[in-house]
Amino acid sequence: MSKIIDVQNLQMKFGKEEALKDVSFTVEKGEIFGFLGPSGSGKTTTIKILTAQLTHSSGKASVFQQNAADMNQMENKQKIGILTDNSGLYGRLSIEENLLLYCNLYELPKSAMDEALQFVNLQNERKKKVNNLSKGMTQRVILARTIMHKPKLLFLDEPTSALDPVNTKHIYKGLRKLNELGTTIFLTTHDMSEAETLCDRVAFLHKGEIREIGDPAMLKKKYSDHSFTVELTDGEKHVLLNGQEDAQRLFNWMSTQQVERINTNEPSLGDIFVQLTGSDL
Amino acid sequence: MNISIRRIQAIFMKDYKEFSRNYAVSFVVLIPIFLAIVYGKSGSNSIQTYFLPINMTFSMVTAYIQACLIAEEKERNTLRSLMMSPASITDILLGKSVLVFVITAVLLAVSMFLVGYTPENIPVLVMGLVVSTVFYIAMGIICGLFTKSVMEASLAILPVMIIFSFAPLAIVLGETHIVYKIVQWLPGSQLILLAEEINKQASTMSLLTPIAVMSIWSVVAIFISVVLFKKRTKDE
Ligand SMILES: Nc1ncnc2c1ncn2[C@@H]1O[C@H](COP(=O)(O)OP(=O)(O)OP(=O)(O)O)[C@@H](O)[C@H]1O
Ligand SMILES: [Mg+2]
Repeated sequence: MSKIIDVQNLQMKFGKEEALKDVSFTVEKGEIFGFLGPSGSGKTTTIKILTAQLTHSSGKASVFQQNAADMNQMENKQKIGILTDNSGLYGRLSIEENLLLYCNLYELPKSAMDEALQFVNLQNERKKKVNNLSKGMTQRVILARTIMHKPKLLFLDEPTSALDPVNTKHIYKGLRKLNELGTTIFLTTHDMSEAETLCDRVAFLHKGEIREIGDPAMLKKKYSDHSFTVELTDGEKHVLLNGQEDAQRLFNWMSTQQVERINTNEPSLGDIFVQLTGSDL
Repeated sequence: MNISIRRIQAIFMKDYKEFSRNYAVSFVVLIPIFLAIVYGKSGSNSIQTYFLPINMTFSMVTAYIQACLIAEEKERNTLRSLMMSPASITDILLGKSVLVFVITAVLLAVSMFLVGYTPENIPVLVMGLVVSTVFYIAMGIICGLFTKSVMEASLAILPVMIIFSFAPLAIVLGETHIVYKIVQWLPGSQLILLAEEINKQASTMSLLTPIAVMSIWSVVAIFISVVLFKKRTKDE
């Protein structure tokens, strides 16, 4: 596996304010990497540094084994796709006209536009004027534009924040498919379940520092207290731990057919985040 | 330098579609036409009158619309996406100038026809007009890049209009007046000077001087707009 993104001791200061304190992480080729953190934790700042839209104060930021500041060069711009709050659309143009511009800028065949529209489930809305679209539809059009050239590396800054569950699901499916075709995805979100369903690895960012990093299943194991909750037929709930004593209790309930269900008490990513930072998302 | 005709054309087509649907901005093209009709009817035939609608076109249409086109991209957050696309700076700046260039050319031709201006040496005058157009486009780009919204750009363009388009009127103060001595070097004044020299059927040399002065203005303005554009590819 090779490192697509390599960030070491990254620091970003805006005047006196330290938006990023000492951030280090890597993203491997083919991964879906989730960058999780509350508002103001430095997610967008990180994306902007990695895409040459901001110059960091100190530390190392490299993408495709090159300095991140070089991502504004032509060959690199062809390889990356970026969706941030800086990604706007032309309001007086239709969805199709907006995409057509980028189809030409990336020198793609027209079929790329149709594929992108299908990706965001907007084939039948293509003639609609962007000014008349809902927030979620606008976001989907921007997403379509971002993935149209099938970038090797995709930066998505809260891609589903304005979407309803049905379209979110559709986008997830599309992103997974893109990923299977070889696109590495760097995704920021404060939606923990999004991270859980989508990401191979996640990093928790809090106040400009990474507090934990790893694959969601591993993290859940790591922060689990290894207890189970047993619900009995009479509705009573008991928390059990591994061990002789609780094993006997469980054995007794089971032999008398009193067990309704057993759940593991794995923490959600959200729980882990609260545990680590003491603050909610 | 990296130039792609397909990209330039795509940006131009996009601008054309947007512009033709933006009545608030596109109506200003009527102002110089209206002026030209009025002057044409008045029957006066001095170079000064001929050039009023022409200079009006440069300030109210060329510079103003160009500034709005750029400022709107900033206001709508679309400029950064353009910059992050494979389009080069040259592609974007050229692509975003073609529309205004074409509009200016059409308006100049129409208003010259309406005021009944038939210059002796058309190629040289056209050269002067082209160089001027480039200058005012670059001024528009600079204004657009300095401001954050169409509203701000509309205000910022006012000094450009006043200084560059109406300054030639300072000739009424007399050729020896200090203000005229300064403003005669502005591109607007040089254009009128060029037209007068053409009218006098002056030597090639005396035609070249105003064109050279205007070219220097254009080159400086282009340089500033490119530097400013590069700065806008990053935050802060
Ligand atoms: N251009 C800037 N100038 C000054 N401060 C900035 C600038 N950009 C970001 N910041 C500050 O840096 C910090 C991190 O901001 P950033 O936008 O990266 O957060 P975020 O994690 O993306 O938040 P959100 O979830 O709300 O998008 C914030 O405190 C913000 O105020
Ligand atoms: Mg953000």
